[in-house]
Amino acid sequence: MDGESAAKDKEGFLGSGAGRFLAMNWALCFLALMLVIFSLTGQNFLSINNFQNVVHLQTVPFLLASAETFVIITGGIDLSVGFVMGLASVFAAKLIQVFLASGMGVDAAILLSVLIALAASVIPGLVSGFVITRFKVPPFIATLGMWGIANGLALKISQGYPMAGLPDKLPGIGNGYLLYVLPGRFVSFFAKPDGFPDSRIRELWRLVPFSLPFIIAALFALAFALKRGSFGRHTYAIGGSMDASIRSGINVDAHLVKIYVLSSFLSGLAGVFNVFQTGIGNYTTFNAQYEFFAVAAVVVGGASLAGGKGRIWSSAVGVLVLAFLENGLALSGVLPFYRYIAVGVLLVVAVVIDKLFPDVR
Amino acid sequence: MKKTVVAVLVVLMIALVALPGFSQAKPRILFMPGVADPFYYTMEKGIKAAAAKAGADLVVAEYPKAWGPENQIPILQATIARGKFDLLLIAPTSTDALKAPLKAIYDKGTEIITVDTFIGDGDYSKASDYSFPLSYIGSDNQLGGKQMAEQLAKLLGEKGKVYCQATNPDASSVQDRVKGFTAGVAEFPKMKLVGVEWCQDIQQKAQEQTLAALQKDKDIVGIFGLNVFSAQGASQAVVNAGLTGAVKMCLWDATLDNIASLKKGNCDLVLAQKPGEMGTLGVEWGLKYLKDKKNVKVPKKVIPGFMFFTAQNVNDASMAQYIYQ
Repeated sequence: MDGESAAKDKEGFLGSGAGRFLAMNWALCFLALMLVIFSLTGQNFLSINNFQNVVHLQTVPFLLASAETFVIITGGIDLSVGFVMGLASVFAAKLIQVFLASGMGVDAAILLSVLIALAASVIPGLVSGFVITRFKVPPFIATLGMWGIANGLALKISQGYPMAGLPDKLPGIGNGYLLYVLPGRFVSFFAKPDGFPDSRIRELWRLVPFSLPFIIAALFALAFALKRGSFGRHTYAIGGSMDASIRSGINVDAHLVKIYVLSSFLSGLAGVFNVFQTGIGNYTTFNAQYEFFAVAAVVVGGASLAGGKGRIWSSAVGVLVLAFLENGLALSGVLPFYRYIAVGVLLVVAVVIDKLFPDVR
Repeated sequence: MKKTVVAVLVVLMIALVALPGFSQAKPRILFMPGVADPFYYTMEKGIKAAAAKAGADLVVAEYPKAWGPENQIPILQATIARGKFDLLLIAPTSTDALKAPLKAIYDKGTEIITVDTFIGDGDYSKASDYSFPLSYIGSDNQLGGKQMAEQLAKLLGEKGKVYCQATNPDASSVQDRVKGFTAGVAEFPKMKLVGVEWCQDIQQKAQEQTLAALQKDKDIVGIFGLNVFSAQGASQAVVNAGLTGAVKMCLWDATLDNIASLKKGNCDLVLAQKPGEMGTLGVEWGLKYLKDKKNVKVPKKVIPGFMFFTAQNVNDASMAQYIYQ
């Protein structure tokens, strides 16, 4: 039964303009609904501060969900994103420590370490991609292998300890804001004004965390790559039908390797950013389950695990749905153990409702 | 002639093989940690040093991927099967699920000491189905939680709202700290505990939950971070919210990062357990008992105690040994 004609045939709401909008952007509508409800039930939910906090701490999940979006559209999966992120985090931290010890200046050490760590983070993707295309190992297994390798390497580099002793500049950049405003008095850029007393901190408005322009630029770039140009077209084509892609002349193997390299690079970027956000090099703990929630965000955003469907901005909305669900329930005073149940139930409800809508595109 | 030479060689070979059996056999110790984190790595160092000093053989089992009996029991059983151990030092990851597996190991002739966490209710002095271990060597977590509350109250002038960032609800040590902290705060009528959150050892989750708590109750003045990752996450959240100084942070576990935090002024109090000493005491008491089972009475509970790091003593040379590194 063709999805489009089924939608047109449906009487009433689902066939109407509003219905189609709802169907195509269900995750966004669900998010908006949640925000409205939580602003009523949550204490101090509706505030710039809260929204900035949530978005700022989702920078890593945004990057990991974007990585998974590319992979999932091709019908694959990447289970190694969480541990590659941890590996990049400890590797970057180790480099900074080594360069500083050799007498290099702080700025140079940070810049060089970031560049080297980013360059190195394509390697896990190259390996996974090679194993998947050359040896036809299913992506689940290939990336599970990388999952273990990345984790082992991270634990070896960090010796099981979070890597501390890094320059204070790092969390300053990672957690800084563009604007500091004391209402009615002054505006200060990039830093709290000197001598501002700690006791009056709560009066200060902080606007636009540095992470916000960073992540928006990244998401725009990735969405552009996916939507326009042959890279995006080939990605959707491979996900839609591998055979048809091969027959139409696409070098599927080369493209898949590029996809896994991109996924690995984005995980590495997330890991490097993590060092700026936390100020330490942190290996990923086993129960962090980053890949789990990255895939969940992509699915909530409307992608299909079978491949061929998905958008960067939809996955970003998926990340926000998961984040605001936790945040809103916490601010509404729901106790942690009930919150786990609530998040699970609401997630399933969101996707069930999505499935009720006919497939419109 | 040839026959004599062969006979002599055979006797020599038998003697060479049998001789070690006649000499004093080295005691074999197995250390089964709880999970991969700096606390247990520091404990391993204490155990290694004590075992080397005493001339005992030490095997360290694989560090479990995450906290829980489903991760620990398979590793424990696989490692035990590799040979006979005289002493098992284990941090049980469940007060109930480890009872039966440990009893089976005890029945086969291995003495057991639980370190950091315990089985049952930790009281091995009364007869019960969990009284077979020699001893529980660990922090009195309830006392620690209570002392934290008292120290925090001192910093806050005994009034204000406080929040607790905890980690795994299924760890006996964590539950005890929360209980102790709650009881401690209750002693101060002008103080209120506004919430307890569980980050399950994920630092960024601790950050998220603490930021949400600070958002919900804007007048929180004190926060207690319960273990390595929850403490670091909560501390970072306070820095993120620009509330350094306005919110007093007290942290559990003296990791390098928490100590650095204290030095920078991002937190006000750090409690150091003594994991290294727990390990050392475990080895020492265990070997003492193995040497002379009839006369040595191992205390059923050994509490190494705590050290508190403040801005005043953090740089003292005498305190450096208590940092987890």
